[in-house]
Amino acid sequence: MALLLLVPLGHNGYIEIVFRNILMYAAMAYGWNLIGGYTGYVSFGQVAFFGIGAYCSAVLSAHNIDNLFADVALACVVTALFAVVVGLPVLRLKGHYFAIATLGIGLALSDIVANLDVLGASSGLAVHHVDEPHFYVYYYAMWLVALGSMLGTYFIARSKLGFAFVAIRENEEAAAVLGISATRYKVIAWAISGMMAGSAGAVFAPANGFLDPSIAFSADSNIFPIVMGILGGVGTVAGPFIGALILAGANELLQKYFIKIHTLFFGAMIVLVVLLLSRGLVWLFGLKGGARTWLKSLTAYKA
Amino acid sequence: MHLVLQDLANGILAGGILAVVALGFSLVWGIMNIINLAHGAFVMLGAYLTYQLFASFHVDPFLSLPISFVVLFTAGYLLQRYLINWVVRAPILTTFLLTFGLSLLFVNIALIVWTGDQRGVTTAYAGANFTLAGVTIPWVKLYTLLAALVITGVMHLWLTRSKTGRAIRATSMDIGAAQLSGVRVAHIYSIVYGLGAGLAGVAGTLISMSYAINPNMGEPFLIKAFVVCVLGGLGSVQGALVGGLVYGIVEAFATQIDLYIGTQHISGSGLQDAIALAVLLIVLIVRPTGIMGKATA
Repeated sequence: MALLLLVPLGHNGYIEIVFRNILMYAAMAYGWNLIGGYTGYVSFGQVAFFGIGAYCSAVLSAHNIDNLFADVALACVVTALFAVVVGLPVLRLKGHYFAIATLGIGLALSDIVANLDVLGASSGLAVHHVDEPHFYVYYYAMWLVALGSMLGTYFIARSKLGFAFVAIRENEEAAAVLGISATRYKVIAWAISGMMAGSAGAVFAPANGFLDPSIAFSADSNIFPIVMGILGGVGTVAGPFIGALILAGANELLQKYFIKIHTLFFGAMIVLVVLLLSRGLVWLFGLKGGARTWLKSLTAYKA
Repeated sequence: MHLVLQDLANGILAGGILAVVALGFSLVWGIMNIINLAHGAFVMLGAYLTYQLFASFHVDPFLSLPISFVVLFTAGYLLQRYLINWVVRAPILTTFLLTFGLSLLFVNIALIVWTGDQRGVTTAYAGANFTLAGVTIPWVKLYTLLAALVITGVMHLWLTRSKTGRAIRATSMDIGAAQLSGVRVAHIYSIVYGLGAGLAGVAGTLISMSYAINPNMGEPFLIKAFVVCVLGGLGSVQGALVGGLVYGIVEAFATQIDLYIGTQHISGSGLQDAIALAVLLIVLIVRPTGIMGKATA
């Protein structure tokens, strides 16, 4: 991670954007991992938080406040509030119902923003950004967001909070019997995960310079982080970063060399990851018994 | 008054199609506990198949109903047999993502084969309609509704009366007991997924007659199928039908919303996904088992 600090020194605009995207997806993957991996509530609506964060920056920019710290701070407050308000009814749902309700939240928000004139409706908003030679600020800001998400995950995973999340994932009723207020911890997990995605969005908006619903709530930013979390390893600290590095990197290459069919490849990649590596690379690296255990794991869920 | 009746009629006509979309989705979900995110893509493929048969060989869309069913049933059966069955008992995240990846694949293949242009199946009788008590009803949509009712009826009979149908229901009740009685679960699962895909294909054919066709057309139907399942009650044929009709009516009225708050124009027609989510949340909070449903997890 520290090595990534060196990237802007190369003064290569394209490479810088590639790595900034990797960091952005890493932050979102950490966000997803917290609610989907640790707490066991598989959210398909993290893009809602990303979009909210991005629109926070856009609104501040429209009021001539162009300060990344203000952007991220506002994004954190708004996403946390949104997570609490929406989370109270939605986090009562489980399994498929939760998954599809969160999927609906992303789509519904996109619909709503596309109909709100103050937010530029479907034609979008321009967001002020610094001049080209200073673009590295966005890079470092995104690096900080990703680092913050990673460290946040590291410390939460070792704290009482993290144990409460895992207890809810393993058995919600048992956790409740032990005195863990499931609703409260689920909302906390969702709010923190939302803040991670929202901060990434808040830095993304000025860096991108333009925002409309299809960019802010894109299916890519919704599904990428999930696949990254799975590829790296669900419920691990290193997983999301490893997954983001590999998948966002691969996606960038596909986009460069197969611009027309890169989504097709991406679909195939998801299928392969799910079938071959559904327990993640972190699990694979620590695997005892080598290839045989891995092959055995492939048939574990066969009909 | 006759505006209200017109909306009601439009809702029922659209609801019949939604019922067929939801029926296949509901079977796959109820019996295998898979949320099939590729369902929308199957609807899209059914619509394109109909379009291609119509454009190249002038096959009437109603005649391509069985063709869509057979082609997509086969594709679905093979997919389940050789791909999805490998992870069918994994946690929901796995199958959710797997079917999402499949959906991406199909949508992008369609994008390459048919490009992103809007297509349509315009038959000679496409514009014909009749007026009843001030309500205009296009013949195509009426026949589509009738076809939808026939299809749901046939499905219901087949599931309750046939041997395979009984095996399917037994598998959904208790896999172990079904296996002991000689049910080949892998085969039954493949049939169920094939049925889901086939019914989606049929729905696609029905949809192609009244809606524009493009590679991304399936997504809104996918979300609606989910809401219809929850609304009607999971895993029952009647549930899908009732849910589809009720949802069709709710949507027909909700998309008529058209008001101004200050200078902000709020139009229901642009908020289809938001409406679907709102209905979903209300049902889940007020009556989680759906209108016709039994208690489920």
